Amino acid sequence: MSRAMRRAVPLYAVAILCGCTKEARELGPATPQTPPIGNEDPRIPTYQDNFYQVSQGGRYFAWYGCSGCHAEGKDAVLNLADSEWRHGFGFANVYGAIAARHGRLAYGKRIPVEQMWQITAYARDLSSHYPEKRRRVALDQQAEPVGGTWHGPQ
Amino acid sequence: MRRGAALAAFLPLAACGGIQSPLSPVGDQAVALHSLLMLSIMICGIVYALVIGGLGWSLRRRRAEPPPDTDARALDHSLWIAAGVILAGLIALTVGSFIADRALFAARGRDALAVRVTGHQYWWRIEYRDPASGRWIETANELHLPQGRTARVALGSADVIHSFWVPNVAGKIDMVPGRRNLVDLTPRRLGWFRGQCSEYCGAQHAHMALDVKVDPPAVFDAWLTAQAQPAAAARDAVAAHGAAVFAGACAACHAVRGSGAGGRAGPDLTHFASRHSIAAGTLSMTRGNLQGWIAQPQAIKPGTMMPAVALAPADADAVARYLVTLR
Amino acid sequence: MTPDDALRTRLDEAWRDPPGLWGFLTTVDHKRIAARYIVTALLLMFLAGVLALDMRWQLSVPDNDHMGPQLYDESFSLHGSTMLFLVSVPLMEAMAFWLVPLMLGARNMAFPRLGAFSYWLYLGGVLTLWIGHAMDITPDLGWFEYPPLSGPTYSPGHRADIWAQMITFTEVAALCASVNIVATILKMRPPGMTLARMPVFLWAMLIASIMTSLSMPAIMLVTSMLISDRLVSTHFFSPAGGGDVILFQHLFWFFGHPEVYIIFIPATGFVSSIVEAFSRRPLFGHNVIVLSILSIGALAFGLWVHHMFAVGLPRLGNDFYTAASMAIALPAGLQIFCWIATMWSGRPRLDTPMLWMIAFVATFVIGGLSGVMTASAALDLQLTDTYFVVAHLHYVLIGGALFPLFGAFCYWYPKATGRLMSERWGKVALTGIVGGFNLGFFPMHLLGLMGMPRRVYTYPASMGWEPLNQVATAGSAIAVAGGLVFVANALISYWRGAPSGADPWGGSSLEWATESPPPPWNIAYAPVVHGLTPMWNGSRPLPVMDGLADDHRQVLITSVTDAAPLYRQTSASPSIWPLVAGLAVSAMFIASIFTPWAVPVGTLLIGITLTGWFWPRRPRAKQGPLGTGG
Repeated sequence: MSRAMRRAVPLYAVAILCGCTKEARELGPATPQTPPIGNEDPRIPTYQDNFYQVSQGGRYFAWYGCSGCHAEGKDAVLNLADSEWRHGFGFANVYGAIAARHGRLAYGKRIPVEQMWQITAYARDLSSHYPEKRRRVALDQQAEPVGGTWHGPQ
Repeated sequence: MRRGAALAAFLPLAACGGIQSPLSPVGDQAVALHSLLMLSIMICGIVYALVIGGLGWSLRRRRAEPPPDTDARALDHSLWIAAGVILAGLIALTVGSFIADRALFAARGRDALAVRVTGHQYWWRIEYRDPASGRWIETANELHLPQGRTARVALGSADVIHSFWVPNVAGKIDMVPGRRNLVDLTPRRLGWFRGQCSEYCGAQHAHMALDVKVDPPAVFDAWLTAQAQPAAAARDAVAAHGAAVFAGACAACHAVRGSGAGGRAGPDLTHFASRHSIAAGTLSMTRGNLQGWIAQPQAIKPGTMMPAVALAPADADAVARYLVTLR
Repeated sequence: MTPDDALRTRLDEAWRDPPGLWGFLTTVDHKRIAARYIVTALLLMFLAGVLALDMRWQLSVPDNDHMGPQLYDESFSLHGSTMLFLVSVPLMEAMAFWLVPLMLGARNMAFPRLGAFSYWLYLGGVLTLWIGHAMDITPDLGWFEYPPLSGPTYSPGHRADIWAQMITFTEVAALCASVNIVATILKMRPPGMTLARMPVFLWAMLIASIMTSLSMPAIMLVTSMLISDRLVSTHFFSPAGGGDVILFQHLFWFFGHPEVYIIFIPATGFVSSIVEAFSRRPLFGHNVIVLSILSIGALAFGLWVHHMFAVGLPRLGNDFYTAASMAIALPAGLQIFCWIATMWSGRPRLDTPMLWMIAFVATFVIGGLSGVMTASAALDLQLTDTYFVVAHLHYVLIGGALFPLFGAFCYWYPKATGRLMSERWGKVALTGIVGGFNLGFFPMHLLGLMGMPRRVYTYPASMGWEPLNQVATAGSAIAVAGGLVFVANALISYWRGAPSGADPWGGSSLEWATESPPPPWNIAYAPVVHGLTPMWNGSRPLPVMDGLADDHRQVLITSVTDAAPLYRQTSASPSIWPLVAGLAVSAMFIASIFTPWAVPVGTLLIGITLTGWFWPRRPRAKQGPLGTGG
């Protein structure tokens, strides 16, 4: 019995130490962010590899009106799920495309930096979902506001 | 008279009431439930006293010799009496419950003020139907009700299950995605009350409160008319500058009718400064609190969906000064 | 009746476990398995209690910053899930595992290896949840995770899936345990113990186990549907996709309401045994109590909507469930009357187990009465989702299940260990636990009536809730301190307690006929029963039936109603297969959190282990009731 216990302890320790940062969820004020410096910025995995940050990006994606144009079934650049990226797939490329390449919409000036990180992570994550998953999430979010429009509760 | 005496026994309980309590009922619905509560406490109190009395008597009756047979018959009779007492109590409570339930729905069929409340994480979108024009007048986080009139509130949710509860006026009803629930509110007394979301809806469920004001009908009508008006243009330079900053940094989510800001993702701020509190009952309405909230909402309500917008101190000050002009 | 040394040696040979670690892993001795369950569950009760104290500290002052919302939400979710799925039901099952064969004078349970398997699965559930917590992927959506909050959109990641699979583990374990208990009680009773002569405790465990079998499938179904929504994007709980959010609530509570009676009914069994023994007279109203247990068991399945009164369901339905929820108070109330009547007409001895029963009556009745208040659909609209219902549920669960459990622990501890617990420290512990609990939880009724909702990590200072919250915190701390004294008493008495002998309390049922602690083979000869209280019938030595083999594992199978001996059955020997099968099932359940392919692959693996488990080891019988006639 004690031999089994002694063998289990290091396993338990390893489990605790490696943790699971994909599931981390820190609520509260974050340190002020700056835009990503290149595609290898070490801060990128904190957003791109984290379920909570990506899902927050998904909600702001609707609220800032992105899903008005970038929806399922649209073609060319409007379909973000097809893995074809005109300005490059790197994190900083996509961030820059959102911030500076939407003309009048001027997202870089209107959306706070942390939310820009979250939306970038979400946009890059879209192509890794099955269409069923995207549709399922879209159904749940049907009653959420999209930019300046809201169609009523579910 | 008898009810008065019975109620007097519950005075200490009444002292526990407040602005968010079923013990201080001001609405027809809450009054019916309060009566049922008092009946229940009375019946349950009597039953408990009987049980503890029986238990205490049994333990004091310790004897060395086995009991004579007559006790067995007495016990058998007592069993039937106990069953009768329990049944009588349950029937009284069930009948009382049915009567109270009818009171909750007594206003159906009467003409009522139409209100729509939609639950969001973590705020309330409130819309009043203007009887004249048929349009919906939108506000947020503060519900005004006319005294003596029934408001029929249609409840819905934009995301997860919330629950609408203003205990002084009525019981709670859940706001379920995919369902449209109705609750009648018929307040009889004036004043400020407080409601709170009562179905766990996420990280800031604790800070999703609702201010409720009951006004005389004339005051209510005036309030509603004012809410329907667009916001007045900013008069002084600082406020005007604040409006400009607002249009860039805040208008994506917030609407201020009359100024061009038309975002629907967050609460409508057209008459923000006329409200009692900020962030769904989290902070009281002062300029200092407002500046703290805008500067770092995550410090006050961690997990709220409002992002921390980075503004220069002068701009932040201007936005706050602009918002307090929105009466 | 007393076995001679040669018989003892042969029985020891036949029934002993292999030594050391191998014996630990392969044992099918119901007493060792029950002990494992109890130790694990008590450890978890301690952990859940620590979580509760942490939450109480957070709530003791308004706007407290001891815990942020994420940590608080994880705490109440973990506390509720642990106490309801990993402590309460398993502890009741464990007491049944330990006591049922002893009270039946049987050598082991009907399916020994299934018992071992159920423990390994239970342990899998425990590790799933708590290692998840250690890795900071704690589920944070409450102990019943309603969608859409628990759906793929609003709960990203795997936290909700860990909760759902923990439930799958524990429900399979509970189903295995209940099948085992039902089969043992119905088919392995001693000769002469007709259903009419069966003690109330066995009726309680029988009914609770049948209820488990009928209600657990609902929750396995609904958590699997939730995982399916999250993993493979089905639309069960998506209103816009044609699903229904309320479906989750119906299916969950169809299980959830019987679950609380599954926890309470075994407690009524404990109370019946202890009140009978310490009142020194047969239980008054035996038939009434048994019929009450049966009717509670049946009625419990018709009440679940009372957890959904605020959802806005049709009024006629709410009226029906109000009446049904009120009705179940009648059998419960009659049981309380019968126990008090037993004390009244008996010669009560106020030792610690009896004091726990008195605490039970005084506390549980408060919970039952607050339950009758919440049974009204109308009044529930003010009470549900507030601290009133938190007070109610703790009064019925702690007062109605844990107090009898503590009393049962004190009562049967001498049988299990051969030593008596200290009476003095037992009374100290009881005072701390009972007094602390009432001090801690009674104010919550008032807090709910003052408008404080549930599951809030903090509250504003202006609401006036602080004083009662502080009293609640103080009471909870006292209760936990009492709990620590209780555990210390149990541990110290194990080594330093006075020797108890076979029957320290003068009990009425058969477990007191054998030694303390019982040998692996429980009792040397199958007792023959002529009444409800075989140890009090006056006949000494007890009449017994001889004829069971003593050179290999053999048990006696009797008929369902009359307990007439039917045949002798070989009982399973220690085996590694339950552990291996448990590992295969655990692997499948955990992997299916991450990929749907785990289901077909895992099923194949489980099939292989089950084939090993059930591989025939002896030829089939050729004659007798089990004969194939070939």
